[in-house]
Amino acid sequence: MEIWRLPISASQRGKLISAGYTSLSSLSSISSSDLARELTVSESEAMNILKVASHSRGSETSNASCSIVEGAQSAWDMLHDEESLMHITTSSADLDNILGGGIHCKEVTEIGWSSLSLIVNSVLKYKLTTAFGSESIIFMLIGGVPGIGKTQLGIQIAVNVQIPNDFGGLGGKAIYIDTEGSFMVERAFQIAEACIEDMSEYNRFLRKDFQECKIKMLPQDILENIFYFRICSYTEQIALINYLDKFLSEHKDVDMSLWSQVKVIVVDSVTFHFRQDFDDMALRTRVLSGMALKLMNLAKRFSLAVVLLNQVTTKHTEASFQLVLALGDSWSHTCTNRIVLYWNGNERYAYIDKSPSLRSASAAYSVTARGIRNSSSSCKRIKMM
Amino acid sequence: MTPQSLLQLTSQKCTTGCPILDRLLYGGIPCDSITEIVAESGSGKTQICLQLSLHAQLPVSHGGLAASSLYLHTEFPFPFRRLHQLCLSFRSSNAHHFPVNDNPCDRIFVQSVHTADHLLEIMSKTDPFIENSKNQVPVRLIVIDSIAALFRSDFDNTPVELKRRSSLFFKISSKLKALAKRFNLAVLVTNQVVDLVGPNEGINGLRIGNLVCLHTSGRRVCPALGLAWANCVNSRLFLSRNEEVIREENEKSNGQSCDFVKKKMRKLYVVFAPHLPESSCEFEITREGLFGVER
Repeated sequence: MEIWRLPISASQRGKLISAGYTSLSSLSSISSSDLARELTVSESEAMNILKVASHSRGSETSNASCSIVEGAQSAWDMLHDEESLMHITTSSADLDNILGGGIHCKEVTEIGWSSLSLIVNSVLKYKLTTAFGSESIIFMLIGGVPGIGKTQLGIQIAVNVQIPNDFGGLGGKAIYIDTEGSFMVERAFQIAEACIEDMSEYNRFLRKDFQECKIKMLPQDILENIFYFRICSYTEQIALINYLDKFLSEHKDVDMSLWSQVKVIVVDSVTFHFRQDFDDMALRTRVLSGMALKLMNLAKRFSLAVVLLNQVTTKHTEASFQLVLALGDSWSHTCTNRIVLYWNGNERYAYIDKSPSLRSASAAYSVTARGIRNSSSSCKRIKMM
Repeated sequence: MTPQSLLQLTSQKCTTGCPILDRLLYGGIPCDSITEIVAESGSGKTQICLQLSLHAQLPVSHGGLAASSLYLHTEFPFPFRRLHQLCLSFRSSNAHHFPVNDNPCDRIFVQSVHTADHLLEIMSKTDPFIENSKNQVPVRLIVIDSIAALFRSDFDNTPVELKRRSSLFFKISSKLKALAKRFNLAVLVTNQVVDLVGPNEGINGLRIGNLVCLHTSGRRVCPALGLAWANCVNSRLFLSRNEEVIREENEKSNGQSCDFVKKKMRKLYVVFAPHLPESSCEFEITREGLFGVER
């Protein structure tokens, strides 16, 4: 704890710690009068403490970190950062509800555009990340049978991450890694078009100013901001993920503005090339966990979200069949968030299988010509109310 | 490694020869992707394959790929007579694209396949074959009719064998996709169906795709080769056939009377595809080929 290092009296130190200030960064954004009130000290004392803190922080900027353990962050700081994370809207209002208002940027989840009320809600929850960012990164696995809409979700995410900040989006770019050849440009164009139409609709609804209704974005611009990679074997997949580090740092240097960085990596699907004969299963597990680690590092370093689309397979358990994510248990456990897409009668459902912060819940969604949207039956329910 | 520019990536499609089917498929069978046609025997899978192999030779301006095709067949005999019949009608309706002495059948390369390993062997030889064909009329279409026949008999029903079978699926599919990407090929694969017994939908109660259940000839069926193969293809189309009894009004001399006529109803469904919505259309098979019917 850095406070220990500050050249202040022991009683002041004790008061700081009991008030919850354990690191220098937490003292950076507080004013002296607030600090004085919290510590029940005089304002001049508080100003002194702050001066000492900023002085020692200034002298330590040459070091990589200001804490005893490099990269360590106290839980308090993490909570503070998490609360100020940006939320990405999901397509479906129901899905948004079970996801606690939207998807954390560091956590990859499904993104999409949904009904107007959802957009408004998300905008109200929109906050900026702090300058220090959050250390907690998570990435998400989305699994489902063929035809449930995994690729559609992936494309919707790659489009929705580009929604500008004014509309509650991240205004970022996307990297789309296609391993199966399911990405169809015309479909991406369709989804991009529909997204822009929804944005202008929202504009008209909120602003009521017809001059400003025109969104300057074109579907072509959205497609340009998706970096598309097509890979044909697992070695290519690993090589690409190793290369992304260089790609992202180059891209970051070129474009210094915070709002046009790559914010999401979508891999569709991460399992395909690993299901061929790997003579040594242990090798496969090692390769997979190495890849997962690399992706987590990318997410951490560049503050982006990682969405991995997974295939499913059946597992024989006690003479019955169970649907499980492909590539085995150890792979499923590397990801902190899992969403399973499944059919329930005639409807598509998304179920949060595992998440450290969200409750297990399921929500219906549908795949329409405009992309991922609320399922029509839920709309009827809302209308009846 | 550089990212591909999406604006320059256009997915080319190969026309099926019928404007109604093309409209359903948003242009035809896409390149750089594997399309699977699932149907019971006698539904028209081979008809579509033959028709596509011919129409791939049309120039790009008319929806074709200006290409020859590689036809890998696993069921014997290969329908040469039917191919000639289709070829004649194809030539007569597209005479202006081909010189007088030209035979479109010359541009369909037929190869028989016996086992799954044989298929893998053939695919490793396909690379140089397609490279060489670039000098004349390049190969841009591969048809495998049918993939199910290779796997239905060679494998026991034990978990070890099934795992080996699954791993072969992914190997074959990954090789096909690599070929498709490298040479921008369209790949068409046909698959058979198995009967569904029991109250659940799909094998093991699993539903795949838009249709709750696939029906043909009054039975519930599902595609062969299971979930593993379903993960290997990009799009799946289903052909169904049913006998329907239709009431037809007939005018006779002593007033109107109606006959009950048995009609074969054939339908093409989109089970799943990344670029197609859930849709279906009726079609019929005539001497000239397979054509959609607008009702």
